[in-house]
Amino acid sequence: MSESISQAAEHLRRDPAGFFGNSITRMHTIPRDELAALQLEAANQCFAEQRRTIEMVGKQAARVGLSTITQFDDLVPMLFAHSMYKSYPSSLLDKKRFDLVMRWLSKLTPVDLSGVDVAGCDSIDEWIDRMDAQTPLGLITSSGTTGTLSIIPKAKADAIRSMETWRLFFFQRFGTEPRPEDVTPVVDVIWPNHASGKLGHLRLAALLKTHFTGNDPSRFHALYSDAVSTDLMFLASKLQRAAAKGELDRLEIDPQLLARKDEFEALQRRKPEEMKAFLNRMTTQLRGRRIFITGASFLLVDMAKEGFARGIEKCFAPDSVCVSGGGTKGMVLPDDWAAQVKRFLGVREIKMGYGMSEVSALHMMCDHRRYHIQPWVIPFVLDPDTNAPLPRTGVQRGRAGFFDFASIGHWGGTISGDEVEIDWDTPCPCGQTSVHLADDIARYSERRGGDDKITCAATAEVHNEAVRFLAEFQG
Amino acid sequence: MSAFTVPLIIRGQVIEDNWVTFGGRGGIAEFSAPDPHKYVKQLRLRTPMDLRDMYDVSFEEILDVLQELGERLRLETNPHMQRAYEASLLTSDLTPGLLRYTYEQLLPSYFQKDVVREIAERGVGINYLEGWVEHPLRDGRRMRVRAFGARTLHIAAGNGPVIAAFSMIRNAITRSDAIIKMPSNDPLTGVAVARTLVDMAPDHPVTKHLSAAYWKGGDAEFETQLYRPENLEKIVAWGGFASVQHVTRYIQPGLELISFDPKNSASIIGKEAFASEATLREAASRAALDIGAANQNACTSARVIYVFSGTDEPGLKRLTRLGELIYASMLALPEFISTKPKRYDPELRGHVAALRLDDEWFHVIGGEAGEGAVIVSRLPEAVDFAPMLSCRTANLVPVDDLTQVTAAVTAYTQTVGIYPESLKEELRDQLPLFGAQRLVSLGFASNPTLAAPQDGMEPIRRMCKWIVDECCEWPSGA
Repeated sequence: MSESISQAAEHLRRDPAGFFGNSITRMHTIPRDELAALQLEAANQCFAEQRRTIEMVGKQAARVGLSTITQFDDLVPMLFAHSMYKSYPSSLLDKKRFDLVMRWLSKLTPVDLSGVDVAGCDSIDEWIDRMDAQTPLGLITSSGTTGTLSIIPKAKADAIRSMETWRLFFFQRFGTEPRPEDVTPVVDVIWPNHASGKLGHLRLAALLKTHFTGNDPSRFHALYSDAVSTDLMFLASKLQRAAAKGELDRLEIDPQLLARKDEFEALQRRKPEEMKAFLNRMTTQLRGRRIFITGASFLLVDMAKEGFARGIEKCFAPDSVCVSGGGTKGMVLPDDWAAQVKRFLGVREIKMGYGMSEVSALHMMCDHRRYHIQPWVIPFVLDPDTNAPLPRTGVQRGRAGFFDFASIGHWGGTISGDEVEIDWDTPCPCGQTSVHLADDIARYSERRGGDDKITCAATAEVHNEAVRFLAEFQG
Repeated sequence: MSAFTVPLIIRGQVIEDNWVTFGGRGGIAEFSAPDPHKYVKQLRLRTPMDLRDMYDVSFEEILDVLQELGERLRLETNPHMQRAYEASLLTSDLTPGLLRYTYEQLLPSYFQKDVVREIAERGVGINYLEGWVEHPLRDGRRMRVRAFGARTLHIAAGNGPVIAAFSMIRNAITRSDAIIKMPSNDPLTGVAVARTLVDMAPDHPVTKHLSAAYWKGGDAEFETQLYRPENLEKIVAWGGFASVQHVTRYIQPGLELISFDPKNSASIIGKEAFASEATLREAASRAALDIGAANQNACTSARVIYVFSGTDEPGLKRLTRLGELIYASMLALPEFISTKPKRYDPELRGHVAALRLDDEWFHVIGGEAGEGAVIVSRLPEAVDFAPMLSCRTANLVPVDDLTQVTAAVTAYTQTVGIYPESLKEELRDQLPLFGAQRLVSLGFASNPTLAAPQDGMEPIRRMCKWIVDECCEWPSGA
């Protein structure tokens, strides 16, 4: 390597794919020690920069007295919980005080938001659209069961970077150097989901539409034509919160939101027709073509069932690509779900990835069912109760933490809600040198207190059960 | 590996056989108990006639039995209670200091004669329990009323070791037959109390009408055999929403549910607290006790505290000062009342840590070492994660006027601790309309009495069957 370590680390931060010549083989055969040295330097560069440019990062660094990172574990107190991205009073959204929400948000991003014009903005959707138009950020929202909306100030550049690196993993095979057409393939994209929205995975749709299709939007095929409205997601959250607090009897709903609830119901009613049209298009117009399809496992299984009902198998060209992940959302999948999906689509494999909104990376599963961590992300295994780092040796099971030093729109340090197992010492038999996770990733929230542990104090846990009950009750 | 064993107690019989293991997931220690499926038939009281023996016993004798039982529960001399205490160290969210006090002092105290007598007198009326009480009616008939016992299943909650004991006391004074279903996070304490009673008076009717067992809540095969009107007349359910909701599927004519729904509690502090340094300190000490007692594990624990501090800058300053005093008082509470929590909820920690980095809307006092924290709102609203507040973490909310405090009370509110008394009197005719069930002087929220109504009802009266004997005169010459 002719670059100095600091130049090399800078290169890795700014352009991880380019650093490895767009080769996933090179990305995952770099010796661990060499990568670790680069990562430590890159983490320091990122930290030195963002402690100055992101207010919350500077404050936390000052609180824990961190000035340089001498070992990876130094970063642990700098990992942010997901709650960081919903630490504003949600009433600000009720009152449409987007100016105040932005004042809060500006402490979580280096991007200057002071010039954004939100005059007359009367919905969350409109506010985010204005942010899209006026700033380098493409906000990602998600609604939680506490009735709040988390807002991650993700840079558009981060989203594009992660999409471009995702693409490398979908169209290359480990062990084979990429041809140019593997780096920028042109395929039809099948998107069994809403066409757009501000949720993490829906933001992806817009990028697939241009970057996977050779910039031909007609080759992007979404199941539902409409967007998922953030305002409606917020309404759903508020309903949940009101139920959780025993306040449904005094929930006041913005008439504008209420009107959009009707709209939402209309879209719900339209769904069966759109589903039918979507399946028709897949099995006729797109039949035999090379496609890219991605969706949660249960969605793909549903599609396969529909396909089989129409007598269709091996629907697409064999070099098509199918990517899944995202958990089962509490549904039980048939044991042979992957075989069913492959038989219907006609693909050789279903690529599985593990990722989260806060981290711009999808960690791909190898043939030995291990998720391999991308080289611009430093993984941590933490004590699930105290968040103290567990040793970076042997087999460790605990709460996953990640530091994505390539992130520019927001701080890349994250504590997840996931239980993971890392085998730090045993090289994966697949030949990749990277750190790898076992495939049995679980949410702590689903794991804890699942038994009949009874307490008469109404904790959030029982509240959430109440929420589920209500959802069922209203049908 | 089972950490401990939970025998099955059925009406004076101690069963230690057919062991199967339970727990071992989600932080619950693994333990062994007799296979409940093998004993479901035996758990049923064959016929209500079998309750007759309770009516050969006087009320005073029942009091004597309970009093003696209480005396025998002393931790230092009772090996069953020692084992229960050891097990609870593994299963409970409470710390050793709190548990020790509960087993040594609190639990035995409920069985004292005077205490039980007051519970019976206030909760039912001893004359109704002891015999027929006559009331002449306007139309000339003589109405005689007596409170009878019933065959009752009690589903106990596990967030305090005393809950199964409450069921036993209520069962004995109403001359009922109780099957107590033990919770997985405290499966042994109730069994240990019942076993002590078996050792003490194996053939006494009070013993013969008490069973304590563990089975997995939601075990439909077991439950459908037991939860039927031919076996039970009432189910008393404590617990979370899911467990209470689950039980409702068995409710039908002839099988009644008495439900202690999941509840939260709040506090309201009036402007009088800011009258002097002395009143401020007093209010802070009282609030700290309502938050910290039993490490905020009880349904009576204060979580969100509304304060008439005013919402302007001087008001927020006053509120912050109160918050600091509450935090200091909470940390100074003695070990038998409150300690650093055993485990600080990691999700709550994330929320608190996020607020700590931004003082604009919320100010966090303490909490860095998982010892508990006071979150001071800088706007008249509770934190969005208020339903999650636990582990000695409270939220102070500033308000300007009475209209803002109705937010303190919802359909899920049980206790509201209020300071001073004058404010309580001002609020007491309004708050119940929104859902509050118990208004109490600030500082006494976690010191409830069994002699009062609970959760907006009179549970002991509801545990009884109220039977009427009407005596009517046949007109002469008719």
